[in-house]
Amino acid sequence: MANEFDPDLPSNRLIFDIRRDNDVWPHFKERLEELMEAYGLSPAEREAFRAVDVRRLGELGVHPYFLPQVTRLFHGAAGNTTKSAAAEAYRRSFGDQIVEHRDISSEEKPHG
Amino acid sequence: MAEFVSIMAMAHAPGVTGWLDSCPVSDQQAIQAGYEELGQIMRAAKPDVIIGVGNDHLLNLPLKNPPNWRVDCALDWTGPAEFFKAWLKQPGYQVRGRPEIAEIIAREARAAGHKIDRGDGLLFDDNWSVPLWYLGYDVPILPIHMNCINPPVPEPADCIRFGRELRRIVRDVLPAGLRVGLMGTGGLSHEPGGPRYFTMDSKFDRWFLELMEESDADRVIREATVERMNDAGGGGTTELLAWMVAMAAAGGTGARSVFYVASAEMRCGIGASVWSDFA
Repeated sequence: MANEFDPDLPSNRLIFDIRRDNDVWPHFKERLEELMEAYGLSPAEREAFRAVDVRRLGELGVHPYFLPQVTRLFHGAAGNTTKSAAAEAYRRSFGDQIVEHRDISSEEKPHG
Repeated sequence: MAEFVSIMAMAHAPGVTGWLDSCPVSDQQAIQAGYEELGQIMRAAKPDVIIGVGNDHLLNLPLKNPPNWRVDCALDWTGPAEFFKAWLKQPGYQVRGRPEIAEIIAREARAAGHKIDRGDGLLFDDNWSVPLWYLGYDVPILPIHMNCINPPVPEPADCIRFGRELRRIVRDVLPAGLRVGLMGTGGLSHEPGGPRYFTMDSKFDRWFLELMEESDADRVIREATVERMNDAGGGGTTELLAWMVAMAAAGGTGARSVFYVASAEMRCGIGASVWSDFA
């Protein structure tokens, strides 16, 4: 089922909290090891964070909605286009599983 | 009794303010024109307060055992929350609340059996910040965050019942003369998390917009299931539950589809429905 996740997983608590804490999220990359220790992440979670492997984080029980936010924590949120550094990191993580949008612009005319 | 003066539902994809200039020009123009029309409609209705219903995005509601709804009783807000400012390319805004109205809604909805919390100081992300960019910041708002993406989410039947309850509260309980706008916000199809992050289901979106045009609550409950929405894009498409609240609040009249753009760069179907007859 979509959106299934483990609400008790330390990674979920970390991501939930950090976006709300303006003293922490700007320094996420620099403080990653300290934060992972403080929240008690498992070795598998830590390895996935270090590798920015959001696909693996999803497999471990991170809520899917958090996954692109993790790439933004590492690569920045501004200009979050489909070609941004955060988006490319997301693609790398999911590899050949990624489904790109099929260009059907000739069939898709805005209507009012 | 109070009255609805405007009811609408719209997408709130972050790129609409964050990176719209990366879209093809035709998409940019259609999206901007669509949102600007919504702003014109809401401003022309001259509401005293805008009630909003939108997905919480796992930013405020607890990860474990979240309520279906949380109505915010703050006197005012600033937004977006800092983490989201660069993403949305927004410098920040301030908007007033109507705590006395919010308290009434929380009390009445809870008494009617809805799983609703009250609080104050919700953090806003794209859920409010994108619609308000076009609707403006002058009218007080009454935000109701809903749980759209943390299973179990409220079913379409729950959302329609909640919309009907809002309709009852506005028409039978809120102070006479109060002019109320209602905005449901979320969707259309998108999957923010998972392998389909970069795609959407425009066929589903067009079908859903037509469903709003028809506004047959029984059919919505029967066909626009949580499972079907997740098939069109997990983690995002169920934000359309907020549209069902707006539809029910309108009382059964049909909506007009204002615009629709299947935007690859937004990674989301972008569109809106407006109800102009409130039965």
